[in-house]
Amino acid sequence: MNTVVDRSIDIGEFIAQPDDDMLICRCEEITKGEIRKAVHDGMWTLTEIRRYLRTGMGLCQGQTCSRLVKGIVARELGVSPAELEPATARSPMRPTEMRIFGTEEV
Amino acid sequence: MVMENKADVVIVGAGIIGCAISYYLSKRGKSVIVLEGSDNIGNGGSSRNGGGVRQSGRDPRELPLAMYGIKELWPTLSEELGVNCEYHKEGNLRLGKTPEHLKILQGLTDRAVACGLDVRMIDSDEVKEINPYLSDEVIGASWCPTDGHANPMVTTLAFYKKAREMGVRFITGEKVERLRKVKGRLRKVYTKENEYEGEFVVVAAGYESREILGTIGVDVPMHKELCECLVTEAEPHMFNQMLGTAEADFYGHQADHGSFVFGGMSGLELNNKDCGPVNSPSNAAITAPCICRGIMKYFPALEDAKIVRTWAGYLDICQDGVPVLGFVDEVPGLVVACAFSGHGFGIAPAVGEQLAMLIDEGKTAVDISGLRYGRFKAKI
Amino acid sequence: MKRYEVIIVGAGPAGLSAAIEAAKKGLKVVVFDENDKPGGQLFKQIHKFFGSKEHHAKIRGYKIGEELLKEAGELGVEVVLNATVVGLYPDKEVNVRINDEIHHFKGDTVIIATGASENMVTFPGWTLPGVIGAGAAQTMMNIHGIRPGKKILMLGSGNVGLVVSFQLLQAGCEVVAIVDAAPRIGGYGVHASKVSRTGVPFYLSHTIKQVHGEDCVTGVTITEVDDHFAPIPDTEKFFEVDTVCMAVGLSPMSQLLKMAGCVMEDNPKRGGQVPIVDEYGETSVSGIFAAGDVSGIEEASSAMIEGKMAGVCVAEYLGYIDEEEKDSLLKVFDADLNSLRQGMFAPKNRGKLIESTEEGIEISKNLLKKGYVKDDEIERFPGVVHKSGVHPVIECTQNIPCNPCQDACKKGCISTGKNITYLPFVKDGSECINCGMCVASCSGQAIFLVNEDCGDGSATVTLPYEFFPLPEVGTVGFGLSRKGEKLCEAEVVSVKSVGAFDHTNLLTMKVPKEYAMKARFFKCS
Repeated sequence: MNTVVDRSIDIGEFIAQPDDDMLICRCEEITKGEIRKAVHDGMWTLTEIRRYLRTGMGLCQGQTCSRLVKGIVARELGVSPAELEPATARSPMRPTEMRIFGTEEV
Repeated sequence: MVMENKADVVIVGAGIIGCAISYYLSKRGKSVIVLEGSDNIGNGGSSRNGGGVRQSGRDPRELPLAMYGIKELWPTLSEELGVNCEYHKEGNLRLGKTPEHLKILQGLTDRAVACGLDVRMIDSDEVKEINPYLSDEVIGASWCPTDGHANPMVTTLAFYKKAREMGVRFITGEKVERLRKVKGRLRKVYTKENEYEGEFVVVAAGYESREILGTIGVDVPMHKELCECLVTEAEPHMFNQMLGTAEADFYGHQADHGSFVFGGMSGLELNNKDCGPVNSPSNAAITAPCICRGIMKYFPALEDAKIVRTWAGYLDICQDGVPVLGFVDEVPGLVVACAFSGHGFGIAPAVGEQLAMLIDEGKTAVDISGLRYGRFKAKI
Repeated sequence: MKRYEVIIVGAGPAGLSAAIEAAKKGLKVVVFDENDKPGGQLFKQIHKFFGSKEHHAKIRGYKIGEELLKEAGELGVEVVLNATVVGLYPDKEVNVRINDEIHHFKGDTVIIATGASENMVTFPGWTLPGVIGAGAAQTMMNIHGIRPGKKILMLGSGNVGLVVSFQLLQAGCEVVAIVDAAPRIGGYGVHASKVSRTGVPFYLSHTIKQVHGEDCVTGVTITEVDDHFAPIPDTEKFFEVDTVCMAVGLSPMSQLLKMAGCVMEDNPKRGGQVPIVDEYGETSVSGIFAAGDVSGIEEASSAMIEGKMAGVCVAEYLGYIDEEEKDSLLKVFDADLNSLRQGMFAPKNRGKLIESTEEGIEISKNLLKKGYVKDDEIERFPGVVHKSGVHPVIECTQNIPCNPCQDACKKGCISTGKNITYLPFVKDGSECINCGMCVASCSGQAIFLVNEDCGDGSATVTLPYEFFPLPEVGTVGFGLSRKGEKLCEAEVVSVKSVGAFDHTNLLTMKVPKEYAMKARFFKCS
């Protein structure tokens, strides 16, 4: 994407919401409030959110929550979700035991 | 609001080094602009490393920085930045399985002891006492009780968060194309659309520093090598030490979260084909499996741990294996902090603090003279 | 390292179609699928497909799956099951987990046909056991033979929500409501109508406020929303349920493509993160193709055509056919795909409010809001005619690319006219022999055979009936309206189940003649 973003632009104060305690990332047990708070801490990209909070880094690798997190971050920043670049896809696509992942090349 | 693109210091690169320098400069009352070429803070090695906060195994030229950081900065860093950086100071084991391994470890240990570091060789019984999960094949290790590890991604973002709160202006997606001297001093930094100006310009852009510095006629002799990491699902807590091996089969630790984070290489890195952009290289298909095999040789207990993710990152490896830090005498106003060679994370807070001091006061409290630009000479 | 000419990831409709097409041209093809059964979603799809013959219309999804597998097998396609592709690396290296080993393969070409995953929406209680995806419900019912719950609320009125609701009813579950935040039903009107006539209420412009329960779902509260999707106070309605199904869209499972370095885009019209592909599915990485939902959410029918296109392109890429042959094949597939992408539900019309049909007839507003066409609205549609004796009444009121009805009638009574999307009508002077083929052939279950006046004050209505137990002749129950309300007493006078109907039973009920054009479902008393 590489658009110039000045991280000091004012996005307003963090204002608590009644459903802030709702779980969004089930694998890592991250709530909506934590995600919203992280945006106000300066985490404006899905990659930063993920590195800061671990959203989408659990067993399902964001299959369920990445869309939800995207929506929350976009709303908090006041941008369209389509403007937020999804986090990178990583091998293995399914959790794989070390002894299996380490199979010698055949 | 139109912001003026001028500050006391302009930093190129928002990795942990750039973020840390900006934080410590801001603490000293300096105004700072940080320019990051990618869309994300800490997108290079800062979020792609194994999280080691080590002194052992380091070159004597950078050891003072490592020791200083562990003594003075790391213990209170989480509190200072307001984010839990998951720092553990519970020792580093560098493992050996053969007499040749022990010889390598002994050499490293002797050098570190000479610099005043508390590190010693231990036998297999003592290794087992410290970490009972290791393979019986481990016959000895070097042990540095004051080493440890932290979460590199969170630590990088913690420096960023705190610096941003203190007024440092971070601009992402702002790739620097050119540096320029004005009236005898490096002052200007140009991106595609904009120009920025500072009394000092710090270049801390990892491997990409080389190209940027080239625009002002400064060259740091370094190359890049692809290194990979993997992370497992959360496992019950087993140990808190940082681990490595004499042959560098792998390195890593168990995070607070429970997952194991290990890094390593396949051995083919020098001649690997290009795996893509510096900010998001692809994994090589053979590396992570190789790291797994390395781990299982030392940690058979982990063979059923499930890997959930692997990733790759480039090391910016300096000709002589230690970073280039500080002023460049021939270009007043320029400060370099790059070529960390794969072990920059652990010394990042100390580098940040000391370079901020250097910019503010013209001197450092820790001797970094061995890391200066201009130390590279032909062999004869 | 073992190398294949083409490695296909995903043995669903797109992957299998690609494999068949490539194998037909002489390529050695391998298909990896992480499931223990091939077919992707096809084997969960027990309903009849829409479209034309070329699109496998009026054939049930699982039968299409069986046909594709058989054809692939005959052509020597190697389908490897329980084979999870864990990574797609530079140089088209594919790492596959098979049993307890990772195998490294290279492909001269790779076709990614990994499909999609279900979206979720959040509300308090969304993580409780009992809140599941509609696709998951479908898997439980149609693959494993397990009822997902007893009383179920469906969130989402797109085709998935409607089709799965009907399947839940078929499985013997009670569907208490279909809820959607949108102001209009998203799926085909005929799917909505077949659910509605069993008595399931629709709540459009409603959303879930909360799912109740401690350890599992015990109930759900919905609330009406305004034009901006904000809840309207004091509009809450509570339902006692044990399961909440979410059918709120699908997201392409495009991670492998992203990992392989294909240029991606975030395209809401395609359902999310998709590779940028040319018109035949080739990504920015030469030799890597994408087909089916992974490159944009659509129907299985279009996924099959996209698969064929990728198969043909791969054959040309590797020199098995020349460009001329490729172009002539692609031309045919293009036309097929184009005909599927017609009508009011075409991708280009997504999100648009369409108020009248291509024929210029006003769309039933009630259908879009409540799921059924009102008695005073139905008469304006061309398939609804009055005649003496038994004759078809075709309650097809939206332009959908589908035409099995016109081929079903051996007497040629039914026509959709020159365009596949046109509303079918009953030809003047045609003679209905009461064979029932039209009723059974309509994938939307929208055709009825009606004798409006049997001469004794009664009328008969023959309707498609896909529920167990099948009522016996002589059973007395109720005739239900299009809304599912009891209208009158009804007696079953005939039940026909023949092979040609393909499991759509034809139930004929006798009702007082004033209900001939109103009673559309039978319920035992």
